[in-house]
Amino acid sequence: MFLRMIRGAMFRQWKKMAMIAFTIALGASLATAMLGVMMDVGDKVNQELKTYGANITVVPKDSSIINDLYTIEDNESTGSYLLEEELGKIKTIFWAFNIVDYTPFVSAQSTLANGAPVTVTGTWFNHHMELPTGETLDAGITNLRTWWEITEGKWLDEQADDNRDVAMVGAAVAAQNDIHAGDTLHIEGKEASKELYVQGIFDAGDEEDSAIFVFLDTAQQLAGLEGNIDSIEVSALTTPDNELAEKAAKDPSSLTVKQYETWYCTAYVSSICYQIQEVITDSVASAVRQVADSEGEILEKTQLLMILITILSLIGAALGICNLVTASVMERSSEIGLMKAIGAHNSSVSGLVLTEIVLTAIIGGIIGFFAGIGFAQIIGHTVFGSSIAIRPMVIPIVAVLVVVVTLLGSIPAIRMLLNLRPTEVLHGR
Amino acid sequence: MLVALLAIMIGATILSGLVTIYYDVPRQMGAQFRSYGANMIFTGTQELFNMEDVEAGVRHIKASELVGVAPYRYETVRIHDRPIMAAGTDMDGARKSSPFWKVSGEWPKADGEIMVGKNVADTFRLREGDSLIATFAPETDGDEIILDNEMTFIVTGILDTGGNEEDYVYLSLDDLEELTGEETTLDVCELSVSASADQLTAYADAISNNVEGINARLVKRVTQSETAVLSKLQALVLLVTIVVLALTMICVATTMTAVVTERRKEIGLRKALGASDASIISEFMGEGLLLGGIGGVFGSLLGFVFAQVVSVSVFNSSISFRFGLLPITVIVSIIVTGIACMLPVKSATNVDPALVLKGE
Repeated sequence: MFLRMIRGAMFRQWKKMAMIAFTIALGASLATAMLGVMMDVGDKVNQELKTYGANITVVPKDSSIINDLYTIEDNESTGSYLLEEELGKIKTIFWAFNIVDYTPFVSAQSTLANGAPVTVTGTWFNHHMELPTGETLDAGITNLRTWWEITEGKWLDEQADDNRDVAMVGAAVAAQNDIHAGDTLHIEGKEASKELYVQGIFDAGDEEDSAIFVFLDTAQQLAGLEGNIDSIEVSALTTPDNELAEKAAKDPSSLTVKQYETWYCTAYVSSICYQIQEVITDSVASAVRQVADSEGEILEKTQLLMILITILSLIGAALGICNLVTASVMERSSEIGLMKAIGAHNSSVSGLVLTEIVLTAIIGGIIGFFAGIGFAQIIGHTVFGSSIAIRPMVIPIVAVLVVVVTLLGSIPAIRMLLNLRPTEVLHGR
Repeated sequence: MLVALLAIMIGATILSGLVTIYYDVPRQMGAQFRSYGANMIFTGTQELFNMEDVEAGVRHIKASELVGVAPYRYETVRIHDRPIMAAGTDMDGARKSSPFWKVSGEWPKADGEIMVGKNVADTFRLREGDSLIATFAPETDGDEIILDNEMTFIVTGILDTGGNEEDYVYLSLDDLEELTGEETTLDVCELSVSASADQLTAYADAISNNVEGINARLVKRVTQSETAVLSKLQALVLLVTIVVLALTMICVATTMTAVVTERRKEIGLRKALGASDASIISEFMGEGLLLGGIGGVFGSLLGFVFAQVVSVSVFNSSISFRFGLLPITVIVSIIVTGIACMLPVKSATNVDPALVLKGE
């Protein structure tokens, strides 16, 4: 009898039920989409913030203190370098997956043909690497200097150029010495001299405008520093610092074993620095505060903003569903009055109503969940150009939300139904 | 009726709340992006310039958009006979334009106080509260030998930035003037301006053209990246707003439809008693529109409260009420309720009253 009545409600009143299911589906899709986007927005914005460039710099241990202080008076370098052969190891640290990009630098003080001194910086542009894990990575400054404006010519391309003797010239150097794309420069380094073909002129808007950028080996040959590099810039996805990270950054040995493990296994900028120091001999890795701190700040704000918008839409969805459920149950007072008049118990009446509503809610919720995933993907592709990963956690949250909200919405209606006097209702009052 | 009013209010609240936030996000987020530091730099056209030139330049920028101005003068001084780059600056300005500088200890406040970079502190084993002696050799005039100027400073803080700044010491412009014995001229002035990239370019051009002695440039790294990221964030909020609004409005409409459908019997009865379709429709529509109007007004107020809560808890700043949004919210609510009422009323009036009253 019970099942037959349920089936009757579902099929004979399908229009009404479809309406309720539709509203619940809307609410559920809203909840799914917002929760999905909210939980993934941190990762997405973090990726976007990579346009600010590297957030970690690695320099040799000795130079980090002395080199800069003494180069103020004379331009002789103090002779401590990092090893080029160790560069691949950066992609083997615990948080290797979070290292988005990195590039080495080596600078050679050289002179142009007209005698003007110039800094020639060797680096990777889009260096192709086969990692031990089987992945490949194109690392280099092409992605770490997104703000460079190429005013003439084009970027250097390590993978395409057969000619290794090419250069990109900073706007300031180019203007002072009247250099244009297509020219050939004669550069006199400390150890060697080279004829470089100018492939592009860039405008960086900072001191890099007064440098010439070339492939790593070209600068190494000019300065006689084969196999050595001055510094490495690393761009890593990081978690905003908290108290633990700050304490660890000062002195990792001050932590307890458990704290150390938590710190080491969280992508704090300080723990990534620490892990880089472990694999690169005699190096000091430090966070570029301008990038690292601001990143954390903006990430937090964006996440908080999204959380609040999500809460608003969840409340909206919940109230909307509640409202409709209440309205649709109350509407059936005459039907329920009749049932009570022919002897139905309160418990069986409310059982019937609840089962109907919950069944509808489940159907609506499932449809809404998948629609919500669709909405989240639309947002992800339009804004970030990549799909939003829906966390498994979204499923139970949406399920619980839909069921609880539906039940809550039925409470006032059911209470009313229980107090219903069949005679009055049937009488039409 | 209460159910319908509640539904409309929810819709209107979400509409006005989200739209307010959407319009406010670029401004608020833009302010957050100032944590990346200076986005405009003044340099002298004839090598050096002074504070008066800076002030003349700053006048071209709206005061409300100016976050911080930090003038810098660099001189090589000697500390324990080692050459160190000393930067004279306005500490308040530096603090505002470079919020990412992490100082352990205090920023210098009074004369005779100095902040040292982390690397300098490591080299000389300096701590907060230590004193250091800085000397400066003024230019010799012919064969005349001038004694080195010498000053004692108290170290108030140690600066950690992860950049070149760690190799410098920072003191006030007045102290540097006293130490060098030369009048203050500036090497560079950093500005942090909270404005869009186009606006910044306009400011830079205006200043370079109108103020003699100053060349204003934008820090590409900061401005370009900010534009890129900020536009993404704004697009995100816009899309979220659209999705949420569309779903909420449909939700409101279905609730409204359900409420009106419930009254089919009433419609049937009226028709049976001889009411014309037009009078029934206009009565129901009038009711719906009234509800839409009331719900819209309450909703826009609630929405503003919500936007205010978001703004205060996320950005620590309040927002002003957008009066333009009130009529828009009310009109949208009325249109949505109107459409939602129209469909069920239409279908009820089209049916034979006898059938409706019979409950089929």
